Amino acid sequence: MPRFWRRNRHWMTPALLLLPGLVLFGLVILAASFETVWISLHDWDGIGAKTWVGLANYVELAEDPQFYVSLKNNIIWLLIFMLAPPIGLGFALIVNQKIRGMRILKSLFFVPLVLATVTVGVVFGWVYDPNYGLLQLIYGLFGGTTPALLSDENFATFAVAAAGLWPQIAFCMVLFLAGLNNLDEDLIGAGRVDGARGWRMLRHVVLPQLSQVGFIAIAVTVIGALRSFDMVAVMTTGGPYGSSTVLAYQMYEESIFSYRFGYGAAIATVLFVIMIAFIAWYLRGLLRAERSNA
Amino acid sequence: MSSVELRKVDKHYAGYHALKAIDLTIEKGEFVVMVGPSGCGKSTLLKTIAGLETINSGQVVINGRDVTREEPGDRGIAMVFQSYALYPHMTVAENMGFGLRMANRPKAEIDAAVKRAAQILRLEEQLGKRPKQLSGGQRQRVAIGRAITRSPEVFLFDEPLSNLDAALRTQMRVELSGLHAQLGSTMIYVTHDQVEAMTMADRIVVLNKGLIEQVGSPLKLYANPANLFVAGFLGAPRMNFIEARVESVSAPGVTLAAAGIPPFAMGGLDASGLAAGDAVTIGIRPENLRIVEQATAGTVTFPGEVRLVEHLGRETVLYLDASPLQATNSDSGTGNFTVQLNKVSPIGVGARMTAGFDLADAYLFGPDGRTLTRPKTIPST
Repeated sequence: MPRFWRRNRHWMTPALLLLPGLVLFGLVILAASFETVWISLHDWDGIGAKTWVGLANYVELAEDPQFYVSLKNNIIWLLIFMLAPPIGLGFALIVNQKIRGMRILKSLFFVPLVLATVTVGVVFGWVYDPNYGLLQLIYGLFGGTTPALLSDENFATFAVAAAGLWPQIAFCMVLFLAGLNNLDEDLIGAGRVDGARGWRMLRHVVLPQLSQVGFIAIAVTVIGALRSFDMVAVMTTGGPYGSSTVLAYQMYEESIFSYRFGYGAAIATVLFVIMIAFIAWYLRGLLRAERSNA
Repeated sequence: MSSVELRKVDKHYAGYHALKAIDLTIEKGEFVVMVGPSGCGKSTLLKTIAGLETINSGQVVINGRDVTREEPGDRGIAMVFQSYALYPHMTVAENMGFGLRMANRPKAEIDAAVKRAAQILRLEEQLGKRPKQLSGGQRQRVAIGRAITRSPEVFLFDEPLSNLDAALRTQMRVELSGLHAQLGSTMIYVTHDQVEAMTMADRIVVLNKGLIEQVGSPLKLYANPANLFVAGFLGAPRMNFIEARVESVSAPGVTLAAAGIPPFAMGGLDASGLAAGDAVTIGIRPENLRIVEQATAGTVTFPGEVRLVEHLGRETVLYLDASPLQATNSDSGTGNFTVQLNKVSPIGVGARMTAGFDLADAYLFGPDGRTLTRPKTIPST
């Protein structure tokens, strides 16, 4: 046994260490994905027998106006969320100054990261409340009345996405703060000697060093926008009249409330394909950045 | 007009006095090398000249202009960093032209300056490459090229050669000296490598614990160190030190005693501050120690046993155990004496021999470390 181990450990050690992760990934991600695709080709209520329907679920999806509302809302989420990396960078630059008391401020900015998304949703639900919410207090100062954002089909998605933006900004800020801590001090010094300052220092010397972190921030933000679910569930449950639904929430609703697991799985598959496309694009960019910048 | 003038430059870090009222004047076109052990403040001093570090009090004057409160980019300096600090996302040409670009110079002028610098440094082939595609020596040249394009009043070098291998270091040393001759600009160079200091400098500034110990030409510092620290810092192998006691003081000199050698008189020094019983240090360079057959007048001799021999080809270094006489503060960390013979020697480990030195070659340092022996004449070059 010891001889066998000595001879084979060069490949067995990494294999054994990888095994738990691979098993988990295989079961929870790969197997589940394949099963989802499989279910999407059936008509199934989640309990009884599955009936093979081929691509019928996808055909129905293509003609479902609710699907396009969800897709459009996901795009709105995406656009609003894209504000998070630049705003997060801005805050990171401000908070990174060596000023007394900045540490306390920094930790205050971390707060939304500690809160569960559901908590953020509930809190923002109160903020938006037209009767006693914070927003109404502010409007009241100017003698106005808050529109009922969450019950207005034109505003609901924007209001929910804005609430989701808050922790996302904090998350991006943390990423950029870590990046700012790793700046090469000599490079900054070289920039100062070369006479770069202010915006041009940021643009030519600081930002290029943050490109890796920036890429991660954008990728995580896009994925966050695409899989948004909990905020919608807590704040509007997709309403009013399904106007603030997103793909992930529509999938949940079709499967759990309408017992249409096959249809829900079809929505999940479409969302999956969108994400895969994005991740492929992301990895390509990451590899290219690594090749040109390492 | 002087090129760089430091007036009572003082710097504190939290609880640490990094620079203690440094006064230094550097003439136009001079190549000044600042040396000292790590933590002596040499890099800090360079960064205060660059403006990358602020100072607590004092003045930095460059070309007659007080720049103490000015940004590094406005001081008329250029700096070459130990890490090269090249912008990784820019090409070699962009790196070298960046300073002029930040100064809003027209593109034609930038291109011309980059081309000229590339010519001087033989980088024409590399202009379109990124820093990571270059070798260490080439990166170093780009860093120097970036400094040249700005045509600064003063070049600052922060240990620029310490990341290069030995062969390349020698080559770059020669190139830098050539560059200095070609450009004629003031250069201030920080290093911990005394070979760089001795070979390149017009003047050496020896720093220790935030203070300037001595300023002078390499040969002057080598022949006439102002104190124990400079004597021990310059020269490899290091000077041998013997702790001794003053027996008596007479008009021309002193009589010294150390464990292991009979008391002897030493002249040619300023004994005014000495009294019997004072602890002093005798210094003798390894090349001034030799193997003697018999003692003559004016020679101090002591017997010993060879513990280690280093055959370097051109020279032979012996480590001699002369107990009970002890060398203090030696490179090897032992009480052995270092003897440098300028020839190949057949002496082996274990050989017993008598070493000796001429009193005229020896140094005497007072209780406070100051050199008491009178300056030795430097052979004119």
